[in-house]
Amino acid sequence: MRDTFYLAWRYLAFHRVKTVILVGAITLIVFLPVGLRVIVNQSSRQLTARAEATPLVIGAKGSPTELTLNTLYFSSDVPARTTYAAASEVTATDLAQAIPMYVRYRVQGQPIVGTTLEYFGFRGLTLAEGRQMAVLGEAVLGWRAAERLGVGPGDHVISSPESVFDIAGVYPLRMPVVGVLEFSDSADDDAVFVDVKTAWVIEGLGHGHQDLSRPEASAGVLRREGNVVVGNASVMQYNEITPDNIDSFHFHGDLSDFPLTAVIVAPPDQRSSALLQGRYQSAELNQIVSPSEVMDELLDTILTVEKFVIAGAVTVGLATLATAFLVFALSLRLRRRERETLFKIGGSRAAVATVMTSEIVAVLAAGVLLALLLTFLTQRYGDVIIRALIR
Amino acid sequence: MTSWQKKAALTLACSISACGGPAPEAESSGAVAAVDEADALVVYTTNYPLAYFAERIGGDRVRVEFPAPPEVDPAYWSPSAEEIAAYQAADVILLNGAGYEGWVAKTSLPESKLVNTSAGLEERYLVAEDAVMHTHGPEGEHEHENVAFTTWLDPTLAIEQARAIRDALAELLPGAEAELQIGFEALEADLTEIDGRLEAWAAGRAGQALLASHPVYQYLARRYELNLRSVHFEPDEVPTAGGWRDLAALMQGHSADWMLWEGRPLDETSGRLASDYGVGSVVFAPVGNRPASGDYLDAMRANVEALEALPAS
Repeated sequence: MRDTFYLAWRYLAFHRVKTVILVGAITLIVFLPVGLRVIVNQSSRQLTARAEATPLVIGAKGSPTELTLNTLYFSSDVPARTTYAAASEVTATDLAQAIPMYVRYRVQGQPIVGTTLEYFGFRGLTLAEGRQMAVLGEAVLGWRAAERLGVGPGDHVISSPESVFDIAGVYPLRMPVVGVLEFSDSADDDAVFVDVKTAWVIEGLGHGHQDLSRPEASAGVLRREGNVVVGNASVMQYNEITPDNIDSFHFHGDLSDFPLTAVIVAPPDQRSSALLQGRYQSAELNQIVSPSEVMDELLDTILTVEKFVIAGAVTVGLATLATAFLVFALSLRLRRRERETLFKIGGSRAAVATVMTSEIVAVLAAGVLLALLLTFLTQRYGDVIIRALIR
Repeated sequence: MTSWQKKAALTLACSISACGGPAPEAESSGAVAAVDEADALVVYTTNYPLAYFAERIGGDRVRVEFPAPPEVDPAYWSPSAEEIAAYQAADVILLNGAGYEGWVAKTSLPESKLVNTSAGLEERYLVAEDAVMHTHGPEGEHEHENVAFTTWLDPTLAIEQARAIRDALAELLPGAEAELQIGFEALEADLTEIDGRLEAWAAGRAGQALLASHPVYQYLARRYELNLRSVHFEPDEVPTAGGWRDLAALMQGHSADWMLWEGRPLDETSGRLASDYGVGSVVFAPVGNRPASGDYLDAMRANVEALEALPAS
């Protein structure tokens, strides 16, 4: 029997190109529908889990999908801005905890998530090293963000301009990294967390500069009107918050008017949730969305697309199988003299049939095994692929 | 020494000695059940009056922490990263509000734990007259003004802040409402007594010009309708020549006999005030930080006694 398998193996090895093509075709036939199914299952599980862990999100009226994806996955599509007043309004109702989110800026592609300390408790994020952010300008990095940026506590990260043409736009802010979070297998691993006030400093709504009332800042003074000092455009502003200049940092205007991309709302019970949703039914400026509902809609769309893709894959698979069958049939016909030689040297009809069958089974088995391996890899690294696609 | 100088010296001595008065009475007249310290609610505050109010209201139910060193003015203090971490870990953080704790806007504190005790008093805030504002940027849209922040110097406002503390603690200590109410009522009675004495003192001095070494008595002046104007003198520094000129200019239209000080002024300063300007010195401590001895109530009573000892004009 070993001889039979040896002959089959030698044949496949000799015709390696044909064998590889056949194995590849079988692999794709099996993997495409199965792998797609795995990806869809994983993405729906992942999207649903994070969405279900985020009861409600308030944001400015616009696309609920954009609002949800930016709030949950820090996607680069920034939704219309609401204001900090939206968070204060929720807090004032006593119906839910409100967590402000401002996800607009990046550090070399990693999202800067401006929020409050409540976010870490809400998501169950814990520190792997360093400490929690304490003062304005400090950053705590997600596990993967720290790895990609190659930084840890004691290093610095710099916010990136929104575009290369953003010459007159926001000042890049140099921020000390004070902590790195434990791996959480979520979008939080990719984030650079800062206090929401630091995000406003990046935007230029808060800043530090020379004390205009001091003599050395006279070059930056346009005029004095009683107790009011009017500065000119040459006032030197700081691009890093340090213990020496932090006292000069301040915010202009009413904080309640400052921008947010969203407010995560965590009501303690269904009743509070329903009451809050009711309040926003007729709101003019803001909308309240249930991320799980938004994700369900998104998944419905994905599942519809998946059905078409699987139908296509099955059709292509059947065609490929037919082609493979044809290849095997033609191959058997072409190998008629080879079979006759085997008979002549004493091989039984059964032994010859076993050689031919072994070849076919080996190709099919190799294709299926490879497909299973790819499926395993998809299952293992699917999360990463999905997050990369969402981002 | 003239008679008024003797009185001034006596007043100063009284006001200073009163700060080290008798040991405080039991902090709460209510019978509060003993609570294991480990189970006590951890309360962090940003100034001493709030710490005192929280201790009086919460009793054994709370462990009150106010980490500012005793020698600093908490209004201009900033906690270290370790102290901020301790604030972050507290169960509740009591803020004075009215722009008192400027450092809070520059730190990351859990917003759900912050209780602004003067949030309900915003309509009664006063603008600090001498604050320097600045504007810059396109169309000069950036502008901000400072709010006077020593709200507790008006005992009626202090009572409202204490009420906010009681409500915040009650929310975190379900079932302890009655104990907290007892503590609050005892504190309210003490603050009302202070208010009554100050009201009686002020009643006989309507329109009398007074000076303040620093603009920190805005709420006190409004509550008791005091004709009070401020300079910028530090108790532990001799005023500059410019400072004396400002005082002289101020006194042109504001002929005061007495200046309120946050702390005992240097002898040189009080002596020159008395000899050159005919102004006596009296200490009225804002008690933003822990007094060297006694507690908030002792210090406020000493303040009242110092004022009561002033001769009527």
